[in-house]
Amino acid sequence: MSTRHPDSELMDLLDRIAARDDAALKSLYERTASPLLGLALRIVRSRDAAEDVLQEAFLTIWRSAGSYRASLSPPMAWMGLIVRSRALDALRKRSSDRADRMNELDDEMAQTLEGDSPNPMDAADASEQAFALHHCLGKLESKQREVVSLAYLRDQSHGELAEQLRLPLGTVKTWIRRGLEQLRACMARYA
Amino acid sequence: MNITQHPDLLDRLAASYALGTLRGGARRRFETLAREHATVRAAALVWQTRWSGLTELQPQVAPSPAVWTRIDNLVRASQLEQALQAARQAGPTPAPGGWWRNLLVWRGVAAAGALATLAAVGVGVQVNGGLRTTTGAQITALQQQLQATPQIQYVAVLADDQAAASMLVTFDPQNNQLVLQRVGGFREGADQSLQLWALPPAGGPRSLGVLGPDRLLKLVAGEADVRQVPALAISLEPKGGVPSATGPTGPVLFKGALIQRML
Repeated sequence: MSTRHPDSELMDLLDRIAARDDAALKSLYERTASPLLGLALRIVRSRDAAEDVLQEAFLTIWRSAGSYRASLSPPMAWMGLIVRSRALDALRKRSSDRADRMNELDDEMAQTLEGDSPNPMDAADASEQAFALHHCLGKLESKQREVVSLAYLRDQSHGELAEQLRLPLGTVKTWIRRGLEQLRACMARYA
Repeated sequence: MNITQHPDLLDRLAASYALGTLRGGARRRFETLAREHATVRAAALVWQTRWSGLTELQPQVAPSPAVWTRIDNLVRASQLEQALQAARQAGPTPAPGGWWRNLLVWRGVAAAGALATLAAVGVGVQVNGGLRTTTGAQITALQQQLQATPQIQYVAVLADDQAAASMLVTFDPQNNQLVLQRVGGFREGADQSLQLWALPPAGGPRSLGVLGPDRLLKLVAGEADVRQVPALAISLEPKGGVPSATGPTGPVLFKGALIQRML
């Protein structure tokens, strides 16, 4: 195991990818494909769709690695935003022709709230900023953590969350408001 | 009210804005304020950065091996496209026969052949197992099978410009013959012939023979004809083909890299 900070290794790989080094792309893939697929799967909920998102995201990374440095983001956060953006595109595309699959999708969504463990998140390779968020999210009730996470990851409104999670709108609003207040207080200590 | 004077309210709005749950008119008002006040903009950025950490905190899931294969193929294809584009820009009006001698295009042909290898394996699966899809593991197994087949030292898959495999070429050194198998649906007209060309690293294309109408074709060829030839191509010619020295006169329909089996 290298003693270097993992971020600087990923940044070196992104620099090499910007210089059209395809071996660096393979190394980056080997290092980051699993967390990024986990993220895509959380947003699109289907393995095939998530793997398509991952593929799209890596082609985007290949094309736009040159603009990474200017983003001033930790490398995993930059790649995570690319995956989220591609995954949201896929969700929008799917929602335009999903009328017949709506019920199936609802069932999947409903399960995500039932089966959550105290803190299912994986912060092993997370950047410092994500680690702070991880710590603060861990203090929330699991249902609050879940709706806040889904609101962000799937870019959903209170109404959309209520519909998909089969919860009263007022309940969703309350959970998010309380979750946000606690998170703000906790995150302020990391500022 | 000026929210820049109310840090707690500003922080709450910025957190909701960046989370995405601030919607409608409230969202538009916040955006207007952010354009006017750097403090508001900064608060939004802080929360956008914080929330982006959520993307790093999801459970990991290992992708199937086929995902990397697809990415690698698409990256190679884009590099090939760039090389071809560079070649076109370098010489917009090539001299007759010039296209064939253009090094970049040659490299492109070799890269296209690498793609066609995958297509070939796909064809192999369809022939052998009737399957429609291949996984990375299957591809590896088939490549090993391909390499283990005795007496085939060279193999090429010639594909059209849509990367659809059209002709499987193997060289059988024991019988000194090239075996060609048509795998696509292409049929030349009654007054036309397909002609196979070796594209050596230096000099013009060299004819390896003219193809008959059969699905499985054999052409006499020595090992010297295929040794160190990076790629093969098939052109559409008048019935009976053209002399080797002339070079191809018709369009190149299929091309692909000639891969030497590792002994």
